[in-house]
Amino acid sequence: MTEPVTTTEITTSPATDAVVRIDGLSKSFDGRLVLDDVHLEVGRGRIVSVIGQSGGGKTTLMRCVNLLERPDKGMVEVAGEVVHQGGRTVCRDLARLRRTVGMVFQRFHLFPHLTAVENVVLAQRKAGIPEQEALERAVALLRRVNVAHRALAQPEQLSGGEQQRVAIARALALKPEVLLFDEPTSSLDPEATREVLSVMRELAADGMTMLLVTHELPFAREVADHVVFVDGGRIVEAGRPEDVLDNPAQDRTREFLASYGTAS
Amino acid sequence: MNDMASGLFQVPWSDYRSDLIDALWRTLSYTVVSFVGAVLLGLAVALLRLSKAWPARAVAAVYTEVFKNIPLLAIIFLSYFGLASAGLRLDVFTAGCLSLVVFYAAYLSEIFRSAISGVHAGQTEAGEALGLGKVGIFSHVILPQAVRQALPGTNTMLVDLLKSTSLLVTVSAAELMSEGRLITSATFRALEVYLVISAVYFALCYPLSQLLLLLERKVRAGVPLSPWRRRRMRAARELLANDLGVPVDRKEATV
Repeated sequence: MTEPVTTTEITTSPATDAVVRIDGLSKSFDGRLVLDDVHLEVGRGRIVSVIGQSGGGKTTLMRCVNLLERPDKGMVEVAGEVVHQGGRTVCRDLARLRRTVGMVFQRFHLFPHLTAVENVVLAQRKAGIPEQEALERAVALLRRVNVAHRALAQPEQLSGGEQQRVAIARALALKPEVLLFDEPTSSLDPEATREVLSVMRELAADGMTMLLVTHELPFAREVADHVVFVDGGRIVEAGRPEDVLDNPAQDRTREFLASYGTAS
Repeated sequence: MNDMASGLFQVPWSDYRSDLIDALWRTLSYTVVSFVGAVLLGLAVALLRLSKAWPARAVAAVYTEVFKNIPLLAIIFLSYFGLASAGLRLDVFTAGCLSLVVFYAAYLSEIFRSAISGVHAGQTEAGEALGLGKVGIFSHVILPQAVRQALPGTNTMLVDLLKSTSLLVTVSAAELMSEGRLITSATFRALEVYLVISAVYFALCYPLSQLLLLLERKVRAGVPLSPWRRRRMRAARELLANDLGVPVDRKEATV
């Protein structure tokens, strides 16, 4: 509670236009505290990158946004609606929350029994979008992430980079207001990583709001407006990428960056 | 050679043709009704077994273990003679189907359970993250993948069930085996009759299992089998072709 840094001061967007607001968030698993009084804000059109060691709580923090994990304490607000407060889900429509928040997983988690295009269509149909419209949007999105030529392939016939790009198209299909990326390139080889990062770069240029957990520090430096270093379940340091990554104020951040070989 | 053949085949088969067709029909009825029942009951038991509530799991586990560990013939006798002596008189078709259903549901529930729990947990999460509800996730994400996993075992059980209908000869169920016994007692030509009956079973089971293998392969390759999936794929292909003339790999999703 006495951490020296608060994120709100550094985020340049006005607090009223935050797509995601997290306040005083705590979460433990089996008595082990993985998130401890975390504050985080993602302004509209902003890209916030969460960095830190594995097991430090980054992924849990991100999963609290669409309530794949339910926090024990604190407040989660998405698109102006408080969805979780004081350990209780207060969101009236969980399905709608999850359509507002798109998510891309480390291991893709494409539906293996469906073709690429069907993967992008499924949730749209369940959300009540008419068949033809859903298909057209799916094809347009696959084109946007440069995998339209593989639209009729099964996931197992796709390379890792192609699968992750289909997963991004799937996450975009419901026109989310914010995209969550959970280490999207950690299962990929360098070539596939480049493909996926270039798609994410384009999304960033288009003004997509993103919350990104990543080990790709150069990428975080390049696209993020705001970098948050999480360690031991707490936000140790947060700020502009050039500050956090190049001139960290905290020893812990310096140690972490040193272990990454300063990653530039 | 000729002598042997004429010595072997002396039953006037043409006299029995319509009886045999009736018997064949009865065998198929037992098979279809029992298999459908066993799949439904097996799925219900599998879901109970995967339930969060331990009493549900316990009931399902006891059911599975009981019916897996007593012989089918004992179940047939229990449901036809046993229940009758306790005042519940089932006709032979009902008793026969009931026996096959409860017996095969036990095996199928094990196949379904492992298929359902074999679907990666990330699949459920991906469904949740897309705003699909519990029912949507089960029916559109878990079940189709589980079916793919369960198909080989289920198909084996179907062929096995068809053959097991022959045990119903013990309650004179008027299916193929019972008909064979009738013809034998009329002609005293056991070797000839049972060879012919065996050939009929083979002629049913072999093409069936080959057909099911073909189905397995198609499902595994992701070939769209349902009309609405085919329609969707056709529409997608048109969109892809028209829109910007993107070349689409046509060999995919076909066998």
